[in-house]
Amino acid sequence: MMRKLTFLAFALATAVNHASAQRRFERPPVDAENIPYDGRFTFVRIKFTPLSGSQWGDVKWNHDYPRGERNFTRILSEVGTLKPHLTASNILTLDDPELFKYPIAYLCEPGFWTLTEKEARGLGDYLKKGGFLIVDDFVGNHWMNFAARMNEALPDARLVQLDSSHAIFDSFFHIESLDFDHPNFGVKAEFWGIFEDNDPKKRLMVIVNYNNDIGDYWEWSDTGFIPIQISNEAYKLGVNYVIYGMTR
Amino acid sequence: MSESVFEFLFKYRPAIFQRGELTFATPNLPTVILCATAVIVIAVLTYSRGGWKTRLGDRLVLGAARLVILGLVLFALLRPTLIVSASVPQRNLVGVLIDDSRSMRIADVDGKPRSSVATRLFGAQDSALFAKLSERFGVRVFRFSRDAERVASASELTFAGRRTEIATALEHAVQALGDAPVAGIVLLTDGGDNSAARITDSLLALKARRIPVFTVGVGEEHLNRDVEISRVELPRSVLLGSSLLFNVLVTQRGFSGDRVKLQVEDGGRIVATEDVTLGEDGATTPVRLRVSASEPGPRRFRFRIAPLKSEQITQNNDREALVVVRDEREKILYVEGEPRFEIKYLRRAVAGDSNLQVVGFIRTAKDKFLRLDVDDAEELAAGFPKTREELFKYRGIILGSMEASFFTHDQLRMLADFVGERGGGLLMLGGAHAFAEGGYGGTPLGNVLPVMLPVSTDSDSADAAPVELSVTPTDAARSHAATQIGATERESADRWKTLPPLSTVNRIGRLKPGATSLLTGSTGSAGSRQVVLAHQRYGRGKAIALAVQDSWFWQMHADIPVDDMTHETFWRQMLRWLVSDVSEPVSIVAEGGEVAPGETVHLLAEVRDSAYLRVNGGEVVARVTAPSGTPIDVPLRWTVERDGEYRGSFLAEEEGAYSVRAELKIGDTGTALSDTAFVPVAESQAEFFDAAMRAPLLQRIARETGGRFYRPDDVGRLPEDLSLSQSGATVLEQKELWDMPAIFLLLSALVGAEWGYRRYRRLA
Repeated sequence: MMRKLTFLAFALATAVNHASAQRRFERPPVDAENIPYDGRFTFVRIKFTPLSGSQWGDVKWNHDYPRGERNFTRILSEVGTLKPHLTASNILTLDDPELFKYPIAYLCEPGFWTLTEKEARGLGDYLKKGGFLIVDDFVGNHWMNFAARMNEALPDARLVQLDSSHAIFDSFFHIESLDFDHPNFGVKAEFWGIFEDNDPKKRLMVIVNYNNDIGDYWEWSDTGFIPIQISNEAYKLGVNYVIYGMTR
Repeated sequence: MSESVFEFLFKYRPAIFQRGELTFATPNLPTVILCATAVIVIAVLTYSRGGWKTRLGDRLVLGAARLVILGLVLFALLRPTLIVSASVPQRNLVGVLIDDSRSMRIADVDGKPRSSVATRLFGAQDSALFAKLSERFGVRVFRFSRDAERVASASELTFAGRRTEIATALEHAVQALGDAPVAGIVLLTDGGDNSAARITDSLLALKARRIPVFTVGVGEEHLNRDVEISRVELPRSVLLGSSLLFNVLVTQRGFSGDRVKLQVEDGGRIVATEDVTLGEDGATTPVRLRVSASEPGPRRFRFRIAPLKSEQITQNNDREALVVVRDEREKILYVEGEPRFEIKYLRRAVAGDSNLQVVGFIRTAKDKFLRLDVDDAEELAAGFPKTREELFKYRGIILGSMEASFFTHDQLRMLADFVGERGGGLLMLGGAHAFAEGGYGGTPLGNVLPVMLPVSTDSDSADAAPVELSVTPTDAARSHAATQIGATERESADRWKTLPPLSTVNRIGRLKPGATSLLTGSTGSAGSRQVVLAHQRYGRGKAIALAVQDSWFWQMHADIPVDDMTHETFWRQMLRWLVSDVSEPVSIVAEGGEVAPGETVHLLAEVRDSAYLRVNGGEVVARVTAPSGTPIDVPLRWTVERDGEYRGSFLAEEEGAYSVRAELKIGDTGTALSDTAFVPVAESQAEFFDAAMRAPLLQRIARETGGRFYRPDDVGRLPEDLSLSQSGATVLEQKELWDMPAIFLLLSALVGAEWGYRRYRRLA
């Protein structure tokens, strides 16, 4: 399985290396239409109003979109039996009733995350009912904003740091070490989580990639900018998160 | 025409004409015929010759009348005679069987008990019927209820028998009468047979010996004023914490429209009540009640309706039923072809249920499986079970979106045997690779499922767009435990109306004959309906189809409140039902109905090995524990007629619940034990249920043996009918018919009519 993943990531990288380099600093369009629910796994990215608004068209929540999810779902499809949508994904707000049809969601740049009251209630309900949130792409004191927003959605929730013994790191790939570096800032990644009823024996509702940015690895895995071995680890984390979120 | 009018006109009763053979007894038959023919010829010639002044029409009428008169005279002159076989006086025995059961105490014979008829007819040797029978036969009187014994007369009867076993009584009487010539058997009863024995076998034996049975039915065929709890339908066993759904059938006569209160008691504590409006006379009113099985062990539930004013029988307002509440962890294997939210939410729904263990076996990649909630590292480590022993450890199997080609043919066969032979529950969920889309049509599992599957399906159907279905329960679902998602029946019905729609990608065909649909789904307001949830028995087990791919919407949908428990309730009920009544390799039951103290309990065990193959000739013992704790070991013997079937019996002397476990000895030290069965032993009230006189049964007994059915008011004809019995020592009797009043009356009428016609036509 490991060899297959390496090969796929390598092929992806060499095939589109040149074209991708030109797109490195382009901001993708974010007005693509959502696809309707059909029972298949659909990657869902959470949209929010960023702190201090849009700067130079950068709305934060769209980082790595759409190449991050396109590359990731392709890997997800290739390594396992899951048949996700490969050419489309959805962007939803936390107060959108449609979100409840997709029990796994991805949220990036929570350092700039804002929540309306309705969105906070929506996220709380989503997680309590069984939804699973992947939080990614933030470092340093961005934690403060993230923790404050989570507290608005789940006032009683406690963020707990995870180690590699947790089942999420063994749901598909067996990830022995959590020794990851942030792709841009070189800080050591930390993995945090929120458990149902704050009980570590129960379901993990939120997985938090602090000081990390697996979406970035996914986006640039086919460009050659990032070593394949590191991209692989980011894919492995993503695959494990999805398999965990679909089965626990 | 009534029988008495017939007898007045034709001198004898219809029964004699039916049994007799017509002949003519005149000594000079040719001479009489010759003379009569001559007279008729002369008469015809006289009426037909010319020269008469009368019209042809008048001559024809008068001629015809004269000919009929002559014919009747000729018939009388020929001395018509019936040859009838009749019993030789005092050479034959008659067995009189009198019902000695408690139902004979019911006072519905002009306000007197049914037993009064027996006392009046056979109370002493000089009683009306006894004396008449004794003139011609040797009369042997027997009392019977569960068994039969000889008595001198009905005065010795106490009418205290707890059962009525007609077949046993007839067999006993025939044996007791021995080889002596028997003219017939008289059976005086209300026909309230409540035995498990088949009466057909006894009737065949009587027919073979040509012994007619003359039945006398006592009591009313329909009680005037009575309410009865005629049946209680409930599962034999449930898991602790399950909802127990009772379907109580109430029948009544004389109280239509009245409201009564039906109470359910568990150990003297009222656990449910329901106001019931009684239906039409003779109609059955179904009442559904629900209680929670909150205490483990054998639970004896009592269903009661308070006696109503002027009710004829009050004992049948009360009925008891036993349910075993099992506090065990039932293991269910959930096989899923790909990670799906369905397994996540299903597992979460039952996670807090200590009586259910759902073992997940999810194919996450080719030859890579995620195992969840396994007992140890070995479980399912080698993939899907390849042996019956390994698969049959589970009591239920859920098949998700896993294509049939994943399994070998042997594994598919094994899955079918899991249901058919092991008696497990199989649930197939909807999905891109389930049902016909998964290629199950034409496989052994296709036979097991309750819905028809096309053998082949379009290549792209697995990727077909899903169809949204609004789910509604069927009528059958109203009384089914799996579909009760509210605290009451009304709440449940209301909740179904508000649940969000689900989706399916499966094309489901018609229900199979014998299958039951519990949920259906419709597409849009005018959309066609398709089966969503259906089930059927298959062999010893059950197969269930739930053809939707996202029941998790009932948990996750935006319209569902966070604390709503519908999804949890649905799946807990569903999985508890899936594994209900799943048998162990060794199982044991008590045959027959209720057992009273002092009666024999007949045990029937089915013995299989760990692969659920039947074991013959094994060493099997029933470990019985009496209510007082006294152990009794009952050896069970292989019946030979059926593989793996063992029988034995013991005498239940104590009142209370006997516990029974069958034990199969394996090798020198090993044993296989059955689940514990409980046999309630209590004073039986069976005699008071369905207690109206059962005329159809008694008519059938009489018809099939060549006898006759009587009611008390026409039983006076019994001695004469018995005397015409063709059974026993008989002699032929001649019964003259020439002097039948009918012939005289007809002759008179014809002569009178001829004379009147002549006067009317002025011919005389």
